[in-house]
Amino acid sequence: MSNISVYDELDQAIDQMLAAPEAAHVGRETEIGGLLELAHDLLDLPRENFKSRLKLELEWEAAGRSVSSGDPSQQVVRGTAPTSGEILPSLFGNALFEKTWAGYPVRRINFALSLGLHGVMVFLMGAGFLMVKSYAPRIDPQPFVTVRLEPYIVPTGLHPSHGGGSGGAAERIRASKGMAPPAAREQLTPPIILRNNSQTRLAAVATVIAPPDLSLPRMREIGDPLSALTAPSNGAGVGGGIGGKAGGGVGGDGGPGRGPGSDGGCCGDTYSPGNGVSIPRAIYSPEPEFSEEARRSKYQGEVTLLATIGADGRTRDLVVVRSLGMGLDEKAIEAVRTWRFEPGMKDGRPVAVQMNIIVNFHLF
Amino acid sequence: MNAVANLANLTSLNDERLLIQAAQSDPSRFAELYESNFNRVYAFVARRVKDREEAQDVTADVFHQALRNLGGFQWRGVPFAAWLLRIAANALADRWQRAGREVTADSAELEAEAGPADVIEIERRAMLFQLVDRLPSDQKLVVVRRFVEQKSIREIAQELGRSEGAVKQLQFRALETLREQVRKSDE
Repeated sequence: MSNISVYDELDQAIDQMLAAPEAAHVGRETEIGGLLELAHDLLDLPRENFKSRLKLELEWEAAGRSVSSGDPSQQVVRGTAPTSGEILPSLFGNALFEKTWAGYPVRRINFALSLGLHGVMVFLMGAGFLMVKSYAPRIDPQPFVTVRLEPYIVPTGLHPSHGGGSGGAAERIRASKGMAPPAAREQLTPPIILRNNSQTRLAAVATVIAPPDLSLPRMREIGDPLSALTAPSNGAGVGGGIGGKAGGGVGGDGGPGRGPGSDGGCCGDTYSPGNGVSIPRAIYSPEPEFSEEARRSKYQGEVTLLATIGADGRTRDLVVVRSLGMGLDEKAIEAVRTWRFEPGMKDGRPVAVQMNIIVNFHLF
Repeated sequence: MNAVANLANLTSLNDERLLIQAAQSDPSRFAELYESNFNRVYAFVARRVKDREEAQDVTADVFHQALRNLGGFQWRGVPFAAWLLRIAANALADRWQRAGREVTADSAELEAEAGPADVIEIERRAMLFQLVDRLPSDQKLVVVRRFVEQKSIREIAQELGRSEGAVKQLQFRALETLREQVRKSDE
């Protein structure tokens, strides 16, 4: 309670002092006298923002501009809205055009520092992109089949290199299951399961015309790998070989090769570049992203994909031939799947072409 | 103690001399001299004019003149504040003469100049003004509203959204804090 009365007593005395400052010395010997004396001195305090306004004025003057007539402090505080040429008050607005903005003084060092800091920031931001640049995808100029089958020369003719074969010995049942015969560039003798003439004077290895390095299941007997029959049979086809049609190969579509399709080779109606088949050309190839894991580990290298470029220019049947790991294989497939090509052409019409695509992930 | 005090004064004077030299070569450095002498000059002027607006005008004139004439200032081992107070005394004398006060130029200057006792009082007030800036924000606000803007406790309470009793307590504590700080600095 006594404290409250002291507050009130002090406040009443201050009220009296404010009403008549010259009489404020009365009562200074009381308990609150010392406080009143301070309060009296505080009556001379400058206004709250006077000191800062005057400092601003002086800085302005020190910067080389005179304070004009009228109330300079008001002029400084009031300022004006920036107009053209005043957007950069520290350099252009003040120094070059001698215009002002809110009275801020010219500090060229500020402008230089600001410019420098912005430059550093832009450099760091750019460096982030430069340091990790995924990419450099390129299409292997050496198509997959050509590279992998260099000794193999696809037979020329009306229907080159889109694979397949068949044959047979006009038997009643279809060809039996077995390992496909070895591949060769030339066929001396077609494969046969049931040999009618066992007195061969000049023995030759039975082969089919196909890429020599395709890996196929290995079995004890030769035959059609796609057949379900186990009873030995050369098949219902004619002209030697194994299968249901003519040609001396293995499969169901005729020709000296193996698998679906005809006219030698393998694997159906997917062509290899060369021999009248043009190389597909990429027309839309966004760069693959770097995986976060590889980026952190600073991991780089090449991913090789085996891809089929369809007649519609889209990629399909993407297979990783040479893996890199760290999520980069998936990133490469993800990107290449979106690519679009001008398809390989044969005889003026687009055809599906199988080829290698190498995606290079490189850290700069 | 005297030796220590003299050494401190020498160091302070030497620092001030460097500040003056810096401001003479680069006027933008004048702000440091302004900061260290503002309260002193204002206290000197305020004691003589008894009107806040006039005190502010004269103080502003003093510093503008000081900035303009800084190049001609010559260091003679006297504190920079003495030069500023001399400018202030001249400014006051000119002002009084222009206002038509019945004083001669010499007597006006004598009246405006600071005596030894006056210097002590100026230093005390300058320190008091400086201490107000260091008060907690709510106490400083009450001091400014009460003594500068001369508002009533009720008006301040409404502005702050607090009770009148709470504002009176803040006022009391602010003055107590200032008295304590002044006492400490006197010791």
